Parts: sequence; structure tokens; C-alpha cells
Amino acid sequence: MSNLNQSFSGDRFLAYAALAPSAFVMLLLAGVPTVTVFVTAMQNVGIGSSTGPFVGLDNFEWAIHDRGMRNALTNTFIWVFGSVSIEMVLGLGMALLLNKTFRGRGVARAIILAPYLVPTVVAVLTWRYMLHDIVGVVNSILVQVGLIDRPLLFLNSTGLAMTSVIVIGVWKFFPFAVIALLGILQAIPQEQYEAARIDGASAFQQFWRITLPYVLPVFLLTALLRTIWTFHKFEIIYLLTGGGPLNSTTTLPILVYLKAFSDFEFGRAAAISILTFGILAVLMAAYFFLIRRAEKQQ
Amino acid sequence: MTTSALNSQIGGSTPPRRNYEMADIHYLSGRIMFYLLVLTAVTVIGFPLFWMLICSFKPGTELYTVPPNILPQVWTLQNYRDLFQQTNFLTYFKNSLIVAGGATFLSLVIGGFGAYSLSRFRFFGIRGFANVALVCYMLPEVLIVIPLYSYVVKLGLADTLIALVIANTAFTLPLALWFMRSYFNAIPISLEESAMIDGCTRFQAMMRITVPLALPGIVSVGVFSFNHAWNEFLFALVFTSSESNKTLPLGLATWIGQDNIYSWGMLLAGAVLVTVPVVFFYLLVQRKLVTGLSDGGVKGE
Repeated sequence: MSNLNQSFSGDRFLAYAALAPSAFVMLLLAGVPTVTVFVTAMQNVGIGSSTGPFVGLDNFEWAIHDRGMRNALTNTFIWVFGSVSIEMVLGLGMALLLNKTFRGRGVARAIILAPYLVPTVVAVLTWRYMLHDIVGVVNSILVQVGLIDRPLLFLNSTGLAMTSVIVIGVWKFFPFAVIALLGILQAIPQEQYEAARIDGASAFQQFWRITLPYVLPVFLLTALLRTIWTFHKFEIIYLLTGGGPLNSTTTLPILVYLKAFSDFEFGRAAAISILTFGILAVLMAAYFFLIRRAEKQQ
Repeated sequence: MTTSALNSQIGGSTPPRRNYEMADIHYLSGRIMFYLLVLTAVTVIGFPLFWMLICSFKPGTELYTVPPNILPQVWTLQNYRDLFQQTNFLTYFKNSLIVAGGATFLSLVIGGFGAYSLSRFRFFGIRGFANVALVCYMLPEVLIVIPLYSYVVKLGLADTLIALVIANTAFTLPLALWFMRSYFNAIPISLEESAMIDGCTRFQAMMRITVPLALPGIVSVGVFSFNHAWNEFLFALVFTSSESNKTLPLGLATWIGQDNIYSWGMLLAGAVLVTVPVVFFYLLVQRKLVTGLSDGGVKGE
């Protein structure tokens, strides 16, 4: 038996041969491009060429002092913090609702999770139609109720665009938090609640003393994962506002895209994307650290 | 707060029947509140998709009435007819199928062998590679799109579907690796070992024992990959220029850009049809996941 065992997991050639295609593809599609971005960022690359004169760290220096870059950085923090905090609170609330047994739970769960399954472009289309200033149902309702007396330009005014984008983003992505939190809620031993009830604990106390401590590690991990993903989300903002009006919704990924494929300043775009990646790398490191610690605790 | 606590204590000394009634009312009102809460949540969250579906069946005139009717007075398929007659929707659909299907196929085959290796072997670098896959999955698209674009142009693959298939694999492959590894981990090595004692080669043992047992997992990974590539927008936007190579998200997005007030019905019909495959695959996975592992040979353990 031990003989077979050794031959079973002792085949070094097979181990690497099976992994080689994956390693090759990832090197080609992720590894090499990441290195190339660093090279591009140190060149002055313009239209119609893929390389240009070496300019050292000039692009980075430009980026750090650029006003557009700072605006994008601020917008990114508003977008990420706004989206993730609302998503997590809403996600926890919905997970708590769906964790109860009630008639029609299956249907309620399907409807609440649906936005996450729908393609982004579909979500964008639907919301753009609903928020339209002339034919949109949202403006129509608000006017009828009397909250406003003329239609609001939800996506086309500097004051409202970011809020609207965050609301739509939350609607689209909060089910991820519901799924993650529902999983952990269902794993809480019911005896703990029974014991607490016998001791006379109120619903709030049960939540505060049992549910929350149990859920907290998953809650934080999910929040961090959502932060990473929200940080480099591109298409939902691009399709809703294109970064406008007047750059009021231009986040870092949007800025990278516009610099590269609208201004054709590839060097500067690469520098911005590296700075973006730097912030992300810190978040990712935190994520891996937390996962490692959670695994050790188990 | 204190008075109500006092009251309930006084209530405790009165005959028990009354107490039950109080508890019943308390329970009932709590239940009603709960259902109201669920109903509100479901209505608010579900409304946009309900509205999309309903409005796709409204005739043009009703789409622009202010205030809008909740349900159409006349149900029509005109928007869907227009979509097929006036746009390249079918071309987009076909392109998206090719791109998402191609990327999924590549990821499952390449990632399948890779994940098998990650799950079964403990040589230098193999454990760490799983983390590399996760990092790759988290890489921002905007970081690699600039260099990928220049490679695509250099290789003469600009404005082709092949470029999109390959570029999408950059994200679907790490996803496949990461998830399939955990599915393979769940299948005991001893099953393969006994197959090999019975005369199977290593490859046969993998194909006949491990892969069928991991099938529900593999199918759901396939659905995730397909969904990812089906949704993908940035690569399509950057690589594609001709109408005949546009994928669905890009095609629909171009119409959004034009913001033609008269085409909303058609756009909504398109949105509904883009969602259909996603819903279909979701239902498929749900059923597959239910059948689960226990159907197979794990019982023999």
C-alpha cells in the first residue's frame, strides 16, 4: 500500500506536466502584461506606437501632481466606501430576513439574489430607463408624490451622479454579501439561541451577543473582498455615466481607460494603473493575511 | 419600558388564558411586521427587473406615457420583432456564445488538469501556485488591458473573436483552477488508488473516477466562467471595432451611447434576452448541485 502511495503522489513529472499549461497561460495573460505595464509606465508612449523614449519616473511624478488623478482618487474612495458599507449593512439585513423560515422564502430569496445574476449591461439599461428625466418611472413617481416639482437629472448632474451610481452599484452587488452571510448564519448552532432565550435574552441581545460575534470574521472578509472588487470595477460606472458629468464619477479605472484609449497617452495611463494596483496590492495582502489567520484558527 | 415590564409581571399573575392571548397578539403583530418587511424588500429590490420585463412588452406609445401604466394596456411582441429586424442582435448573440463558450472550454480543460495537479501533488511551488491563481483572478482588468491590447495589435488579432476568447481566459482560468482544486480535494484519493490497483492507468482513474465525481462542481465552475465571459465588457470595448464582431454587452452599450429616446422598447427587449441564458444556466446549476456527490461511488467508502 505504501508502495502504491508513493508512486501515486510521487510522480513529479506528471505533477508539473499537468500544471504547465495553466502556468503558461497565466504567465502569458497576467504575468507578462503586468511586467509590461511597468515598462510602458516608464516610457513616453503616444499614438500609433507601442514603445517610446524612456522617461524614468516622469509619468509617476506627473500622476501624483495631476489634478485629474486626485479627483479620481477622491471619487474612488467615495465610490468604494459608499458602495461597500451600504452593501454590507443591507446584505446582513437581508441575510437575517432570509435566515428565518417563512412562507414564500424560496421566491423571496430568488428575487433578492437576482440582481447579482443579471449582466451588468442589463442592469445599466434598466436603470437608465427608470431614471430617465422624461420617460423614467422614478421621476414620474417622485413628481406625483410631490417630493420634487421637476424631473431630476440623476445621472447627468454633478450633484447626483455619484449617489445614483452608488445606489445602482449597491442594488447590483449587495446579493454577494447576502450569499456569503447567509452561509455563515445557517452554520450557527441553534442551541445557543435556545439557551439564550431560556436565560431571558432579548432579540437584540441575541443578535449582539451570539449572531454578530459568529458572523464578524466572514463579514470582514466579505467586506474586504467587495472592497477589492469595487475598487477596480469599470463597466458599471463607464456605462452609466462614462465618468461624467464633469468627471464627477471618474474613478481610477475610468481614468486609466480614458487616458489610454481616448487620449492615447499609454505611458501615463500605465502609471496611473500601477498606482491603482499599488493600493489594491495592500488590500489583497490584507485579504490573504486574514484568510491565513482564519484557516489557522479552524 | 419599566411600566411595560411591570404590566407583564402583573399579567403573569392573572389567569394563564389571557396570557396566551397576549402572547398570540404579540406573535401575530411581530409576524405581520416581518412579512411587511420582506414584502417591502422584495418589492424594492425586484422592481427594476420586473419593470424591464413588463416594459419590453409595451407598445411604443405606452413606453412614453407620463405617468406610466404599471401593466401594459396592450401586450405586444413588436419590440422583440424590431430587435431582430432592425439590429444585429443575433450576430452579437452568436459572438457572445462563441467567446463565452470558447473561454469556458479552454478554462475547464486547461484548468482541469492544473487543478488536478494542485489537488493531488505536494511538490515545490505547487501549493503556492493556488495563491498565484487567486491573485490573478483579483488583478484589475484595466491593469492588463493596455499591454494585452498592444499584443493583440502586434499579432494581427485586433477585432477578432479569438482575441476575446484568449483575453477572457485570463480571468476564467484562475477562477476554474481555484474552484476545481477544492472540488477535487473533496474526492478521496483512495478511490483513484483502488481503481489503479484494479488495473486503470493514472489518466483512466482520473477520467473515470475523479472527473465524474467532481462533475457537479465542474459544471458550476463552467457556469461561473461562462457568466464572467458573457458579461465581459472592457476587453470587447478595447479590442473590437467592427459591427460583425461585437459581443452582446458591447452591442447593447453602443445603443445606450446613442441614447435614442425612441429605441427604449427594443433596448429593453434586448436586455431581457441577454438575461435568459444566465437564468437558464443558474437553474441548471441549482439542479446539478442538488444531485451532488453522494450519487456516485463515495457510498462505496
